[in-house]
Amino acid sequence: MTTQHPVNRRWNRKQRDWAVVFWIAFLAASAGAFVLFGLVDPLDMVNSWAHEYDIGVRLAYGLAFAFLYLVCLLASALTMFMIRTGPSRGHAKGEGKRPVPEVRDPSLSSPDIDGEDWK
Amino acid sequence: MSQQQDAAASLYRKDPKVYPRDVKGRFASLRKLAVLVLLGLYYILPWVNWAGHQSVLFDLPARKFYIFSLTFWPQDFIFLTLMLIIAGLSLFFVTAVAGRLWCGYACPQTVWTEVFLWMEQLVEGDRNKRMKLDASPWNKNKILRKSAKQVLWISFALWTGFTFVGFFTPIRGLGEAVVTFQLGGWETFWMLFYSFATYGNAGILREQVCKYMCPYARFQSAMFDKDTLVIAYDEARGEPRGSRSKKDNLAEKGLGDCIGCTLCVQVCPTGIDIREGLQIECIACAACIDVCDQVMEKMDYKKGLISYTTEHRLSGAESHVFRPRILVYAVLLLALVAGVIFSVNNRVLLRADLLRDRNALYRELPGNQIENVYTLKLINMDFKAHKYKIEVLNNDDIRLFISPEPALEAEEVGNFILRMQAPVSAGKGSMKVDVKFSTLDEPVIERTVSARFLMPYE
Repeated sequence: MTTQHPVNRRWNRKQRDWAVVFWIAFLAASAGAFVLFGLVDPLDMVNSWAHEYDIGVRLAYGLAFAFLYLVCLLASALTMFMIRTGPSRGHAKGEGKRPVPEVRDPSLSSPDIDGEDWK
Repeated sequence: MSQQQDAAASLYRKDPKVYPRDVKGRFASLRKLAVLVLLGLYYILPWVNWAGHQSVLFDLPARKFYIFSLTFWPQDFIFLTLMLIIAGLSLFFVTAVAGRLWCGYACPQTVWTEVFLWMEQLVEGDRNKRMKLDASPWNKNKILRKSAKQVLWISFALWTGFTFVGFFTPIRGLGEAVVTFQLGGWETFWMLFYSFATYGNAGILREQVCKYMCPYARFQSAMFDKDTLVIAYDEARGEPRGSRSKKDNLAEKGLGDCIGCTLCVQVCPTGIDIREGLQIECIACAACIDVCDQVMEKMDYKKGLISYTTEHRLSGAESHVFRPRILVYAVLLLALVAGVIFSVNNRVLLRADLLRDRNALYRELPGNQIENVYTLKLINMDFKAHKYKIEVLNNDDIRLFISPEPALEAEEVGNFILRMQAPVSAGKGSMKVDVKFSTLDEPVIERTVSARFLMPYE
């Protein structure tokens, strides 16, 4: 029997998952920011409801990107969570912890349950 | 696929379509009541007027949300955020106390699925008839029944889509537009989109949404503890299960109370067997409790073989309603609700935004006067028209000129040019000026905002 040694620079599953979540959310937020800010000036948006804070153009872009990144991160992390906690491979074929429940004609269990067409 | 793989695949039995059997009982009645109340609110509320407007209207183009006598403006977004947090926290609280009550009785997926099932049962009959109909070849009866069901489903889905859009566009006008075929493009799109979503989710996907797509179903276990109310089968009492007549002596036959009728499986809308233990797919609708109680009654056994219980109670330990996490949720919830009620009641129904003219810092006028120009945006958030008085609080040297006259109709937004003038001797550089806006009539509404008044440095 061979002993398992950790392999240098190989990530475990959790590290891989979170790295993918952060990176894909960043890519999505970047693409979204490019398209959105090509059409809308974030300074206009911020000024319409928070002009008293006198937010500069760089901060406005930064805040808008941070907001987009946060939303993408949430979506990405939730997707990872749903996939990782979902049924395992073979589920659709009926494999897994629990078999498909069997059902039968209830009147076979007892002649005392009556009053309905069970079949 | 190779022959070997074929043979392996055939060993597994695929999940059959779930045909939930109709069930009657305490919890089924409660569920029907919940469906009637919630859907009643959904379909009727937009038609009810309140204080001169639709009782619940999310008027996106005007950026105003009406909820009965309250109007929320974009600046009140914090309240809507807080209400969402309250809704989330309430879900945590209810889940910790009573398990998946939300899933079983209040979730739109459950509520609309229930209605679609009623329509299916009305047209195609109960479980066995539906199974027979699906298995039968296409004949006149099957075509008629399936078509009638689709007509009912599609009509109901369209009505649902129409009502949904009616929360965003005044529903009476929308109704007229539908009748006269003058619906706008976006209204038509959203109506069809929401109808399709209702039809797809409640008619076709049903339990698959709860089993595979719902995030709440996945992380609700984090909110559970051993005192949370769950639906469970009393294994100690029920096993070993087996067929019998009610006259049989159970001790002699070595049987528990479960007669193995599988009715609990047949009524389950997600098609699980509750006797296998607590499962993520269980939406806690209590249909299995109702049907099992009926069977127990017919067998002259004690009810409650399947019941709402807690893990602690099942294991014979004492169950507690008041636990640290419940108290923490309750305190947080109470504090938030009280805070929101207090701040909504104490909202100032006037908003004033003073924006400096960006083109010039200041203007020198004849007579050694300095002028700063501002754009003033006044929002009258009250249901009454008002005239306003404007004054500078902290500087007697500054005189104000405004055009046009600051008067606003109910819920009107007005833009004005505000000029402030002061003699050069009044100061140097940047000065903070507090400007007070107040109504000239009843009720008194006041708001003070700050602005920068710029003077030459030399």
